[in-house]
Formats: sequence, structure tokens, C-alpha cells
Amino acid sequence: MTDEKTKYVPHHVMVVDTNRCVGCWTCAVGCKEINNEPLGFWWNRILTTAPNQSTTAAPPASENIDVPRGVFPDLELAYLPVACQHCNDAPCVKVCPVQATYRRDDGAVLIDYERCIGCRYCMAACPYGVRIFNWGDAEYAPGGIVGYGKNYYDDGRLVFTPERPKGVVEKCTFCVERIDVGEEPFCVEVCPIGARVFGDLNDADSEVSQLINEGGAVQLHPELGTDPNVYYVPVRKRVVRES
Amino acid sequence: MEFSRRKFLVGSAATVGGVALADHLRFLQPASVSAATPESVITGTETIYRTGHSNNCDGACGHMIHVVDGRVTEIGPAHWGTKTVSGAAAPTFHPRICLRGLSQIANTYSPNRIKYPYRRVGERGSGKWQRITWEEATTLIATNFKQVQEKYGKKAVWIAPYTGSLALIEGVVGAGFRLASVIGASAGDSEGDNEGDSATPAGWNYVLVDPDNPANGGGFFTGHESVDFLSAKAIVFWANNVAETSIPDWRIMLDARDANGTQLISVDPRFTPTSAASDAWLPIRPGSDTALIDGIMNYVFLHKLYDADYIRRYTVGPYLVDPTSKRWLRANDVLPGAANDFVVYDETDATLKAASDPSLTSAAILGTYQVGNLRAGTALQALADMVSKYTPEYTEHLTDIPKAQIVSLAKTWGTVKPLAVRVGFGLSHWYHGDLHMQALLTLQAITGNIGEHGGGVTTFAGGLTTTAFDLFNWWNPTGTPYAVLEPMDFCDAVLKDDPYPVRAAWFMIDNFAQQMSDRNQVVKAMKALDFCVVSDYNLSATADIADLVLPACTYIEKTDLLSSNNFYLQYMPKIIEPLFESKSDLDAIRLVAQKMGVGRYFTETPETYLKQILHLGKSDADPTVRGLTWEQLTTEAVHLNTDPMPYVPFFNKQFPTKSGKIEFYVEMLVPFGQELCEHQEPIEASPTNTLFKKYPLVFLSTHTRFRTHSQFVTLPWLNEINNGGDGFLEINPKDATRRNISDGDVVRVFNDRGDMKVRARLTEAIKPGVVNCYQGGWDTIKVKSYIEGHPNNLTHQFAKPAQALIPNFPSNAAYYDCLAQVELVRE
Repeated sequence: MTDEKTKYVPHHVMVVDTNRCVGCWTCAVGCKEINNEPLGFWWNRILTTAPNQSTTAAPPASENIDVPRGVFPDLELAYLPVACQHCNDAPCVKVCPVQATYRRDDGAVLIDYERCIGCRYCMAACPYGVRIFNWGDAEYAPGGIVGYGKNYYDDGRLVFTPERPKGVVEKCTFCVERIDVGEEPFCVEVCPIGARVFGDLNDADSEVSQLINEGGAVQLHPELGTDPNVYYVPVRKRVVRES
Repeated sequence: MEFSRRKFLVGSAATVGGVALADHLRFLQPASVSAATPESVITGTETIYRTGHSNNCDGACGHMIHVVDGRVTEIGPAHWGTKTVSGAAAPTFHPRICLRGLSQIANTYSPNRIKYPYRRVGERGSGKWQRITWEEATTLIATNFKQVQEKYGKKAVWIAPYTGSLALIEGVVGAGFRLASVIGASAGDSEGDNEGDSATPAGWNYVLVDPDNPANGGGFFTGHESVDFLSAKAIVFWANNVAETSIPDWRIMLDARDANGTQLISVDPRFTPTSAASDAWLPIRPGSDTALIDGIMNYVFLHKLYDADYIRRYTVGPYLVDPTSKRWLRANDVLPGAANDFVVYDETDATLKAASDPSLTSAAILGTYQVGNLRAGTALQALADMVSKYTPEYTEHLTDIPKAQIVSLAKTWGTVKPLAVRVGFGLSHWYHGDLHMQALLTLQAITGNIGEHGGGVTTFAGGLTTTAFDLFNWWNPTGTPYAVLEPMDFCDAVLKDDPYPVRAAWFMIDNFAQQMSDRNQVVKAMKALDFCVVSDYNLSATADIADLVLPACTYIEKTDLLSSNNFYLQYMPKIIEPLFESKSDLDAIRLVAQKMGVGRYFTETPETYLKQILHLGKSDADPTVRGLTWEQLTTEAVHLNTDPMPYVPFFNKQFPTKSGKIEFYVEMLVPFGQELCEHQEPIEASPTNTLFKKYPLVFLSTHTRFRTHSQFVTLPWLNEINNGGDGFLEINPKDATRRNISDGDVVRVFNDRGDMKVRARLTEAIKPGVVNCYQGGWDTIKVKSYIEGHPNNLTHQFAKPAQALIPNFPSNAAYYDCLAQVELVRE
């Protein structure tokens, strides 16, 4: 343990620039691919919304894609990609009776699939609606396991496995298996617009620090006190219609 | 925890280096991923390959394909080479991918893949098939083609264009054309501009290219390299939903905004993701685009915001026009002793001169001058006169855009430079699509935005639009070209023997029976064929009515080269073996060619053909690829040598027109009354049309992010986020209420040509009076994306005669120039 104390622990955060996000779902499909998510499962969803609208209970995200608010031609449309917010004060961690859900020192909130007993308290507690329960045997797109494809252990805890068993809850892992070897989360790598940035908030020079400290990036529902490690740069510009 | 700050940072750096390294080694080296043993995990050694995604969306992304035990397990974005062929620094180009590219795993392993060759055993279109061997299939093709050619003439066999791929060996310029030429068959247009994509290119050629000059090869079409938009101070997205349909290009637009404060402006009848993310949106009446452009020009003239110096130097603006014939005044007709030249008025000494007169100091760009007994004005004056009636009020009347917005855009156009226009092919899907482009180029010419970094009018640009590839000898190894039969001419050829009979066809990755306009007529013609063969990887609507279907490979299963929509050469290695009994089209063609006695033209490997097409290692290689080595080609995505970089067409201001100038006054269009870009109402989708009373809605069929035309339709990942895969009709609540239609109701969309049934989606994102149903969904025997029918049941094939002036872009399917009515279907 003394050795570990000398190791530097970064503070991992993700920043999504909603000025850039155009709701293309590439990050969500990338997430589906790298994590081999079953049919009907989306760890990451893109909500059709209006600029700078915070949201909690997410409707099925695939409904009414691109349908704007307002009356033609005075309209507003923006997108909000929502996956696990990796809260520093995570309600899901507090309610988990078996400590299957835990917060890693770098900020990632993970689930030990070997401990999870499927009680789903965490799903009730999560204000962001990002957890999914494996009610039955999962179905997959044809072609076999895709993505990372291996088991990944964090300090002995099974935090990723390509096919999550029946009876456990699953969600975004910040791609721990990738960030632990210095890669970016896959949603960051595939985002075609450069709307996602991942990095170390302890490093004041990092892009994420700048976006949070100077770029005005905010947390989703800060009033809940969950202190997420996912931030959003608000929409600065809107459609200007002079009439 | 295993983290150290140093390790993390080093790790981050290694990521970038690591991917680049993988890029270099991509075709051969394993990426040393350790194996795990329990069930439900991927075991085995992983190999990573780089390739190009060739599925005709003009994105031309680079993909990293991860393969374990011969199976694709992951697709991610690939880096680009940092150098040109000759070693100069290439522009920075971000790795790019989108949801469709990521879905290629599911597409490759889709249960809808055609696995074996099949022969029809029931009625045409009955869906009854019998599995046969490749030997039997290719014999059937050869026998039927020979019979048809003997009976009806060589050209009676039509090889249909590959609209589904932009690769070189198997794509819009692919091996099918080579087969057509060696068997004397006809083929679709190899420019890849068939169907709805040739009106705007025709308009582009009117203004910028002399179609009669053999050096121009019958016309061409190109634009600015995508990263050139970083130089623009304003970008107008005209009928172009970049943020949804060319997603990675949107990053460049946002980078421009972040770096330069570039204004982003969307002109679209729909409030698209692009409109929502732009700084201004002009909700235009569909098909009134030229009126808006004329209105902008009127403002530019009134406020003298045109670029006089540019007009004088680079356009035909100063040349005098004969007021009676509307043709150019010729110097040898009106000036004693002068050569055959244009006539200008020199403001300095107030005399008429030939344009090339060395004493000319300053040609007047505006004004009307006495020439003999004529009063002749300059071409620019003719333009100014023409647009003078397009006041903000009149333009508002025609376009439905509030005049303040028109004036605001006109001010921007006249004062912000450089200003770039990105044009979607939606602007081409009109009878007067040629005019739309002619008008945009005219506006860009008078504001000095052509041939400049950050300017221009761009739909796409890339290797395929350059002279890098020797396509003539690739297509025509005997030196005799195939006969071109345009897709728009197919029905008449089959049903009326006009211009000659067509009785057999081979469609290669081309979903003609669904994607071509006036589908009922197309299907009727296809069913009238003596013999029809379809190569595809999916059982498409076209395959449904074929006599024979052949299982084709996806882009991962064959060797090819991609160089579209960017200026990189993306080698596409065969990454996995062809699945099932699928074969590359080249291999399928080879088997048929052998049985037709022309096998000698298909003896080489794709690698050899690529070397031939590139003149690799030869001194006569095109300057864009001169010095390229095979090793360079296969180890990185290398940028072509372009001048300038990023590529800008006509940067040297050498215009390949008859005059050598930008011809916004188009003399060859005088017989059509279109020498200037005066607005004309759509041929069908106009309130001035008598049909409008019966069919009062403009029916659009635009593109969605979930498909590339009719590809990716049946993939579960995409369908889960795309309304379950069910198509819908976007209709404004105002139009819906009038028809008692609520959200989710089944409606019938119809006109005299056909109908479809689909559920209504009420949305304010669409202008009242306009409805939209995303095209490309399937209407096959097994898969119904719509409840009944397809948008192309309603569209037509009215071709505009003027376009025939441009040999490579002679006809165009005006998909959007379409009226319809919508009614509630009682369930």
C-alpha cells in the first residue's frame, strides 16, 4: 500500500462540447461496438433537446430524433449525449448493498459484475437513468463478439466482460480497459466532430481543465450534489433569424 | 492503482504514436493483444489493417479493421498520411468515421447477405430461388448476353453503374465498364453522376468548362478540398445537411468557426441538424433557390458590393453582348481590321476595342455603348438588368424568406470574403438544378470568390475528380469505348427501343429498381428485360426482380483503392476472405469474360490493375501521383500532389472555357433562354403548376444519417435508433391538422404516378406545404421500411434538354421537383 500512495492518481473527466454535438449517434454506436452491448442496450444515448436543457429521466432516446422545439420557423434544436456521469458523490455507490458499484480513485464509477446481485437499487438511485438491467438472455447483432472482447479486472474486480450475465446491471465504464493503457474512451476516439474530450482535471493545462475552468463547461444537474465527472460546454450560439 | 502521472502522459503520447505505428504496419503486423481463455471472450491473435470505406457517401473515411481468426471484431477511425506523394507536407486531416462506418461489422455479417449464386425459379419478383454454382451462373450470363447481343445488337446488353461504391476497381469507375467496352455493350455513365446528381454538375460546366473542347473530356466536376473551408470567413450550406449526412466534414466547419469566427449559414426548407447548429437559417421555399440568388445579386449590384477588379480580370463581365441575337459581339464584325475576339469598351479613352487589344487599360464592366447602330451592354450589365426586378420584396414573395433575412445574407455575401458555398445534391434533384448551380457560380464570380482559398462552390472533390487515374485505358483496353446509355434513358431503351434496344442488364451494387426515380416505370422496364443479373451483398429490391443474383463482397473482402472526396490514396487490402461463396465483382466478371471469349482482358490481379491505372513507376504517370511507389501506396494513406494545397480548382485563374474566363453569361444557352441565371419555377413542384390544386404539397425524399442511399437498412444497431427501422413522413402540424392527421397515423402519399403508405411524423422542422420521407428505406419482398411502396413510386424522370449540352452530365432525375397529396388512412 505504501508503494501505491506514491503513485500519481489522475482525476479523469470527460467534457462534451454541445456546440459541436450534432446528434449523429456515432459515439453511441461506437460504445455499442467496443462494449459488445446487446440489442436494445445503449450505455450512451443522444437525447434530442433544446440548447442547454438539463435532463434527468431520459425518454427513449430514439423517439422523435431531430424534432425541434418551437413553431416553424422559430425553432430550437440541440443534442445531449448522456451516459454514466461518473459522479464523485454517486447515489448508485451509496445504495449498493454489496459494494458491487464503486468509485475508483480516478473518478470512474464501475460495477464488479461478480458481486452484483441484481437488486437494481442503483437504477432507482441514479438520477440520470443510465443503468440497464440484464433481465434475460441477451440477444446480439449477428457476427459474434465485437469490440474489446476480453475480461478486464480492476484490482481483482471484474469490471468488464464482453457478455454480461443475466441478472446484473451494466453501464458506461469510461472505457477503463482503454484509459488504463493510455488510450481514450472509444466514444472520444470515434466522435467525428471532436465534441468529446477526455483528460486529467488535476492537470491545469489539460484541455479538459481549460474547458471546465475557462470554457464554462458545467455538470448535468449540479443541484443534485452528485458532482459528476462528465461536463458539458453549453451552447453559445443559436440560430439567428432576423425578421 | 497502477497510475503514475508520467505513465499516463507517456501512455497518451503512445496512443497517438501507437495508432500511427499500426497505420504503418497495418497490413501485416499483429497488434500483440494477449489472449484470454474463458468462454464468451475473443481469443486469438489480433491483426489490424487500414482500409478506406468505399460505400458511396463521399465521406471516404479511413478505417482500422481489427481481425481475429479471420473475423472482424472492431472497426475504428484511421489516421491519414502526413505527406504527399512527392513528400511535401499534407494538410492536417483528422481521423474520421461515423455510425454507418462503425456498423460495417454488422453489415458484413448481416443475415441478409446473399450467400450463394441463385437462379430465379418462380415468376419474376416472386422471390423463388434455386441455388446454383458459380460455374452455372456465369455460363447463364455469358449465354444470355451472347444471345441478346446476336438478336438485338451488341449494345442491347447494359452494364449498370455501381452507385453503391466509390472504389476504383469495383465502384463508379469500375471493372464493369471494362467488360462493357470489350463486349461492345452499353453502360451507365461512368462519371458516377447518374440519377439525381448531374444537374448541378451540368450547371457548373456551363459556367466554368467548355464542353466542346476534347481536353475537357465531355465535362467534369470538382470542388475545394474539405480542409480548404478552414480559410472561409463565411460558409453557406445550400441545400446541404452536412452535420447529418457528411458528419466528419462538419468538424471542419466548426474548426473554422472556432478559429476565424466563420459565419455558418444554412439555406434549407427543413430545420436540419445543420440549420440548428448554424448561425443563421433561411427557410426557403423548395425550388426557389435561383430567385434567392438573384435577389442577393440585385442587392450586391445596388450597393456596389461586387468585386469590379475580379470581374474585369477573370470573368466575361466586360464583354459586350449583341442586343438582338443575345450572342457575343465579335470584334471582327464591328471593328475594322480586328481579329475574331470579344468586344469591350475602354473607359480610359472611351473607345471600343477588341478584348486582346494591347492598348486596353480599363474595360468597362457595366454600361451600354453605341456600336454602329446598336446599343450594346456588357454581360455584367445584362446580369444587373436581369436581377433588378429581384427586390427584397419580390424575392420574399418567391422564396417565402423574410426580406430582412434576404438583405442580411446579401450584405454578408457582398462584404465577407472569402465566402464558401457547400452544396448538397438536394439542389441537383430539380429540373432546374443546372440553373441553381449556374446562379450560385454567377454570384460567386461577381463577388470574387472563385479560384480562391475559402471560396468556391463545392459538392465534393477528391482523387477521382483529378487526372490521377488513367481510366480511359482501364475501361477501354481495346481502345474502343463502350456506348454510354444514361440511367434516365434505360426505360425507353427497353420499352421503346429508343435510342436502341436494351434487352439484358447487369446491375452491380446498384439498387436501380428502388433508387431510380419513377420507380413503377423502372420496374416495368426491368421486368420487360430478357435477362437481368444483379451482383450485390444484400438481397435488394433490384435483386428481387432479377433472373440471377450473385453474392458480392463487402469492402473488407477484396482488394481495391479508394480516392474519393479527399485527396488521399487509400489502399484497400483484402482483409478477410470472401464470406460464404461471395466473389469480388472483378472475379465474377473474369469468369463471364472467359466464357464470352474476352477473358484475356481480365487476367490480372487487382493489384496489377491498380498499378496500370496509376502508371505506377512510369514517367508518364500523372503529376498528382508521379513517383508513387507500391510500398508508399500500401503503407500509408498518401496525399496526392495537388497545386495548391489544400486543393482549390482554378486557383491559377485559368478557366477551361472558350473565353478562358468565368462565363456567367452562357452563350450556348441562348437558344434555351438561359444565358443568364434568371429564376424559373420548378417544372412540377410549383404553385404555378395546374397540378398544384390537386397535389398541393412539395414531396421531398432527403437523406438520413442512418443510411447511405439504400445501404445499412436492415442493421439492428441502426434501426434501434432510427424509429425501429420504420420510415415516416415528416409533415408540419398545420398541414396535418387540415387533413385530420395525428402523429403516428398511417397516411397515403400519392400523385398520378404512384403512391406509398407510411406513418406521419408531425414536426415543426419542415416548412408548411412541404413533406419529406427519407429515401433509401427498403421495399423488398422481405423487408418493408415503409408500410407500402417507396418515395420513388411518386418521383418522375423529366429531363431538361439544355443539360444535353454537357456530354458527361446530360440528364438528371429531379427527385424533389415533385408534388403530392397526403391523406389519412383509416386503420
